[in-house]
Amino acid sequence: MKKLQILGTGCAKCLKLAENTKTAADALGLEYQMEKVTQIDEIMKFGVMYTPALAVDGVVKVAGKVPDPDAIKPMLK
Amino acid sequence: MTQPISSGCSCDCASTPKKKVLLYACSGAANVAEIADHVARQLTAEGLGQMFCLAGLGAGIPNMIQTAKDADLNLVLDGCPLDCARIIFQNVGLTNVKIIRITDHGIAKAKGVKITDEQVQKIVALAKETLAAA
Repeated sequence: MKKLQILGTGCAKCLKLAENTKTAADALGLEYQMEKVTQIDEIMKFGVMYTPALAVDGVVKVAGKVPDPDAIKPMLK
Repeated sequence: MTQPISSGCSCDCASTPKKKVLLYACSGAANVAEIADHVARQLTAEGLGQMFCLAGLGAGIPNMIQTAKDADLNLVLDGCPLDCARIIFQNVGLTNVKIIRITDHGIAKAKGVKITDEQVQKIVALAKETLAAA
């Protein structure tokens, strides 16, 4: 099962990234667990400087951007 | 490790989107590294970018490389012609980079000498020009 983590304190872009990631994962038929990481000290442990960010199984795939679902799909494979 | 993410969400959703600029300083032992460090911290304090971790990129830490890749611009303050930072960026395959080599601007590399605010502000001004033109 893929662990999908949305890093960000919860503004509109963070929510959009979560939505797009869910759309992409569902389209791929992935089994996944999605978690929102909202605490700054936890976000910093990922080594990112900009949010929102998406981590897949602990690896940051994108930071500071909100790709559309089609762009996210390759990040989930 | 690095400057903390500014309070609140660092997304630009509530305002005019700003360029995501990451700043890197030579991490050496000489005066030029100290100047680079001061410049990067001053630019960060002035909101012109966020100081990030050159050593993390050099160590090949994947999450940090991805962050640098996703920045609009990585502004690198190399100290001297050894060009350590330039080589690190080449090694990780990033090209969204502007590099300032401090010894190119009338500052000789030396150890055991005190840096001056004039030297720092000279490079700050140059960095600001570089950011404005990018």
